[in-house]
Amino acid sequence: MDIGGYNMPEDLYYEPNHWWVKQDGDLLVMGMDDFAQKLAGEIVYVQLPDDGKKITAGKKLAKVESGKWLGKVIAPVNGVIDSVNEELEENPGLINEDCYGKGWMYKIKPDDAGDLSKLITGAEALTKWINEEIEKYADTE
Amino acid sequence: MEAKYDFERKYRKQILQCSRCGYCQAVCPIFGITHRPSFNARGKMLLLKEVMDGKIDLNEELIDTLFQCTTCAACKENCPSGVNVPEIIKQARKDMVNIGSCHPAFTGMNEVLQKNTNIYAEDEPEDFGRERNKKADYVYFVGCVGLYREDEATEATLDLLDRLDVDYTLVDEACCSGVLEDVGHSINTDLADKNIETILATGAHTVITGCPYCYRTFKNKDAYAPLREKGIQLVHMAQFLKDLDISVTTDLKVTYHDPCDLGRHCGIYEEPRQTIRKIAPNFVEMAHHHADSLCCGSGGGVRGAFPKNSLKMARHRLDEALDVQADVLLTECNSCVHNLANAKLRKDKIRIMNTTQFINELMEEAE
Repeated sequence: MDIGGYNMPEDLYYEPNHWWVKQDGDLLVMGMDDFAQKLAGEIVYVQLPDDGKKITAGKKLAKVESGKWLGKVIAPVNGVIDSVNEELEENPGLINEDCYGKGWMYKIKPDDAGDLSKLITGAEALTKWINEEIEKYADTE
Repeated sequence: MEAKYDFERKYRKQILQCSRCGYCQAVCPIFGITHRPSFNARGKMLLLKEVMDGKIDLNEELIDTLFQCTTCAACKENCPSGVNVPEIIKQARKDMVNIGSCHPAFTGMNEVLQKNTNIYAEDEPEDFGRERNKKADYVYFVGCVGLYREDEATEATLDLLDRLDVDYTLVDEACCSGVLEDVGHSINTDLADKNIETILATGAHTVITGCPYCYRTFKNKDAYAPLREKGIQLVHMAQFLKDLDISVTTDLKVTYHDPCDLGRHCGIYEEPRQTIRKIAPNFVEMAHHHADSLCCGSGGGVRGAFPKNSLKMARHRLDEALDVQADVLLTECNSCVHNLANAKLRKDKIRIMNTTQFINELMEEAE
């Protein structure tokens, strides 16, 4: 769905720092949402952690960098990294081109897939959140 | 005819001295990845000569050329005519800014440092769990990259200082702002004054920094003259480490990357090697080293303004470390660590870190 010019699919789950998550069998797939990739500009580097890295919900799991911004990728749930999108090593711009598709970042084996319910999801919650974010970042180019 | 720009007033003779031999082309990191003659030092000197001759004028079209230089000084080092290209480029950038033609990244950087105390406009300074601004013999001045981009490297450096029982303090530091001088603007004296005040308040006799750029700025810029006049010793971590008794060793194959700001700009080549050879007998040089070292691609603001090319330069440098099959690539600069680590692929098993980080890790393992 379009919210204020940002493509925010309503069937995904969102960590409040703009990392989207979706279920893929026993795994979760995550990436950067459209709001964040537009704000960041051209992504030039994505840190790809080793498979098996333990991650903790709300804590930094990696770094991502555009020319003007360096961000911390925040783990949406507790679990371990199952695999990463190695295409991003050579072409991090995939995040800008297709943030919900070819620009996916990591696959996670969650400790408890039920933790997804703690994330933002559904049209109503999503609309409220993104509108607040638009206001919050109104002065940011 | 009266010169229109300061670069001509200051450097006309040097620009005309360029014999167009192209020795610089062989060592220019930007030319190395782009193969565009206008990006090389010779190309830049030719363009500036055209400006002096009135054939072209400084304008927006020259931003990509004149602002795309890491000021690594490899060209200067290899110039048989003695042309000080980095200083000429820096002055030409100031002339560009004066006529309103600046790369937006550098306009932004200057604006950020008018309102913030760090180049990233970060709100919350890191304290690494240490008390700041206390009385101590030494101030450890981290620098923006170490504070906000390579915090793990900084944490390890501080852990090492603790292990070595060094009486140091962190301070509420501001960006040294020396980088503004390289990207067409001028050092921010408010920030410099703030740093001087906070450093002097600690009573420290020495400032140690892990940032070669801060080190250069403290040592050479007029804005920091009060520190020098008060007799405060200014040292880079590489100089501090070499006299310490470090007993740990490793069998790993280690190589060393000379940061341009520490090597070619300050002449500090041997101190880091003295330390590294003590801990790593299996030390090996890369194909380019000492004054002949390759730039990592992050200097002169290039990492922020031209990140893709910056990372390509880092990759180029990293390939040399891989060629000598080093297990560990050490350096003495957080910007170099940052850029080289960003260029590393998952398949590359080499580790990239500051010397302090590595020593701290070895000491930790030995405990």
